[in-house]
Amino acid sequence: MKKFALVAGLVLGAVFLLKAQEGAAPSAPGPGGPGARNPAAEAARAAAADRGHALFKENCAACHAEDATGGRGPDLIRSTLVRHDKNGDLIGPVVVNGRVEKGMPPFSSLTSSQVSDIVAFLQSQLVLFDLHTRFGPYPNDIPAERLATGTVEAGKAYFDAHCSSCHSATGDLAGIAKKYNPPDLEVRFLYPSGTPSTAIVTLPSGEKFEGTLLLNDGFYVAIQGKDGWYHSWPASSVKIEVHDPLAAHAALLEKYTDADMHNLFTYLETLK
Amino acid sequence: MKRVLALILFACLFAACLSAQELDPSHLLKSPTNDWPTYNGDYTGRRFSPLTQINRENVGSLTLAWAFQTHGRSLQSMPIEVNGIMYISAGNEIWAVDARNGRQVWHFARPGAPVGGGNKGVAMWKDRLYMTTPDAQLLCVDARSGKMLWQIQIDDPALKAFGGVAPLVIRDHIIVGTSGDTADLPGFLESVDPMDGKIQWRWDVMPKMDDPAWNTWPHDTDVVTRGGGMTWITGTYDPDLNLLYWGTGNPHPVENGDARAGANLYTCAIVALNPDTGKLVWYFQSSPHDTHDWDTVMTPVLFDGTFKGKPRKMLAQANKNGLFFVLDRTNGKSLISEAFVPANWVGGYDDRGQPIPRRDKEPQLDGVLVTGGVGTNWQAPSYDPETGLFYVNSRETMGVFYLTMPGKSAEGWAGRDFFLGSKSMLKAIDVQTGKVRWTADTEGRGGSSGILSTAGHLVFTADMSQNLVALDAATGKVLWHMYPGGSLGTGPMTYELDGRQYVIFLDDSVAYTFALPSHGVLAPRASH
Repeated sequence: MKKFALVAGLVLGAVFLLKAQEGAAPSAPGPGGPGARNPAAEAARAAAADRGHALFKENCAACHAEDATGGRGPDLIRSTLVRHDKNGDLIGPVVVNGRVEKGMPPFSSLTSSQVSDIVAFLQSQLVLFDLHTRFGPYPNDIPAERLATGTVEAGKAYFDAHCSSCHSATGDLAGIAKKYNPPDLEVRFLYPSGTPSTAIVTLPSGEKFEGTLLLNDGFYVAIQGKDGWYHSWPASSVKIEVHDPLAAHAALLEKYTDADMHNLFTYLETLK
Repeated sequence: MKRVLALILFACLFAACLSAQELDPSHLLKSPTNDWPTYNGDYTGRRFSPLTQINRENVGSLTLAWAFQTHGRSLQSMPIEVNGIMYISAGNEIWAVDARNGRQVWHFARPGAPVGGGNKGVAMWKDRLYMTTPDAQLLCVDARSGKMLWQIQIDDPALKAFGGVAPLVIRDHIIVGTSGDTADLPGFLESVDPMDGKIQWRWDVMPKMDDPAWNTWPHDTDVVTRGGGMTWITGTYDPDLNLLYWGTGNPHPVENGDARAGANLYTCAIVALNPDTGKLVWYFQSSPHDTHDWDTVMTPVLFDGTFKGKPRKMLAQANKNGLFFVLDRTNGKSLISEAFVPANWVGGYDDRGQPIPRRDKEPQLDGVLVTGGVGTNWQAPSYDPETGLFYVNSRETMGVFYLTMPGKSAEGWAGRDFFLGSKSMLKAIDVQTGKVRWTADTEGRGGSSGILSTAGHLVFTADMSQNLVALDAATGKVLWHMYPGGSLGTGPMTYELDGRQYVIFLDDSVAYTFALPSHGVLAPRASH
């Protein structure tokens, strides 16, 4: 499977470019460090976070958003104060007293255990977001209305002109908008990465092998043949014809305008 | 008798070696030959070795001299080699290795620290080693014994700041930067005393109120205090001008430009500082008002020569934003600003040669298509003064950028990006014109690895299929390749010992060292 990814990257694949800064970060040790897991304490923390989530939704989400990423009020995930908080020592006073000068009212009716639950929720969100800073699920649920800023008519016209020789709205793409969430749908129609190339390898004898291309680095060529077996040859000893099923997507990718992208999304989003 | 004499001789040699194994900081002023004593080999950042034993005529017979196992630690570091000892680092660990044969001299594992995490390399000053750690500490380790002498806190791990950058030694200054892009935190460079770690100076990427750069930020929020501008790749140094050159990272919130109208100095800039005072002498902003995470940390490479008939001290950088810059490094004036991959975010250049970002290519709520990044990344390029070519592993890709956190109160990333259809190429850029002289793109001969060039007319790197390769520096033709089973974490380096030239690649968790087949006492036993 690794080989597939490798070939995709080599031939013209989608590469989510790992940022080295992130690569340098250590994996976060669990509470109390590795090896110090305490299932009962973890369950209690999770229960507190759940209660805190409900309280947060009721009292805080209007300004800070339900996931605490901010809206009218600041993003609490990135907040210096939240990051330095120890068991509510910094967050607690802000919740109870508010920050009136910045437009945050006091929430003095919350009990201290409720404040603790809110703190537990925020801590759980920090862990979640730190795991998914940039390449994880967040915020994959960009609503369709936000992306559908084109027109269905223009999108359909684009589809008919550029896509319909391979795809059909009533055939392979029927119901496609139900299958993917909005940003996934958009990114996939732009470039549905992960589809491997195929190759026909012709030996000096004239014998031909056909299969999924696994490696083609100029030194060796390797395929998984139609017989299911792995085959490899020195690249210089054979003739290699590669078929990249994404070639048409790659060619279009260079030509799309932003308006084309928006129109096409708006149209494809109707295929439910 | 013979044996006694040999013992005496050995003892004398041993004593001589001990006192000679320190690194005098002035040694860093020379082109690297017997040693590779600092992150980039020398202060210039050229990663060019004058060694010629391995050259384009014989490189095809390169063979494994030895390998060193870290037993599973992922290596992202540049090893250094000083007086026959190589120092390899990862996370909270250092291995001292006999550079002749790969035998371990000592292994340092910081007490109580977790295993793992990236590190880009150690620095050496006299008999001491320095490294920054995943929890943003600077450690000082005795190079003879591998014992830790002290550690100091450099940045705030609660804000997800971390270390990893290889420090740079300039005389009695240990210069360190910082990393982190989860929460909004401000970048800086710090110089500390090599003996006790006391701060000598600190330069903040975020300007103070009395700096004209203060007005390149809005003041209706506290965004100017919050940051960005991480300094996570080692800079370069010109001893004649006494200027330290360093690249700064992107501003925060990363993909929301509305929250920070203005150029946002000194983020995404090449800065020239006085290394004794930390005072800014000049800057060149390679991505004014960046909204795409186009950090400017890529190595500022220094070389001298004639440019358009005039002798110049130059600085060149291939930037993450897809642009290649050549500056006059005495004053930061632009000589060349030229795209080396398509870069549709550029709306033109200002009179300083700095790109003008297109407003309509900032991340949008409904997404926007952006080319240019990630044109290259932190892995070091190389400049060969003999070919006049700047070698960079480049990438053409289509980015889709979504603004997910609009408004002026946004923090952190505030957006989301996807990069589609990457095409990697090794490019050789003519520093006189900024034009690409040759491109090695057949079969993916270009990767994200660092590069070494040598006077043997060779360019060493790794390709996208994870082969280690040597190319003809003039043409890009592949002359040698080797699949080591992993991927190259950073760039190769080279040194000569006992008359034998070695080329080192840290591949996953193993250091592979190649040399020409030796026919003397060092030769591997011949097979019969």
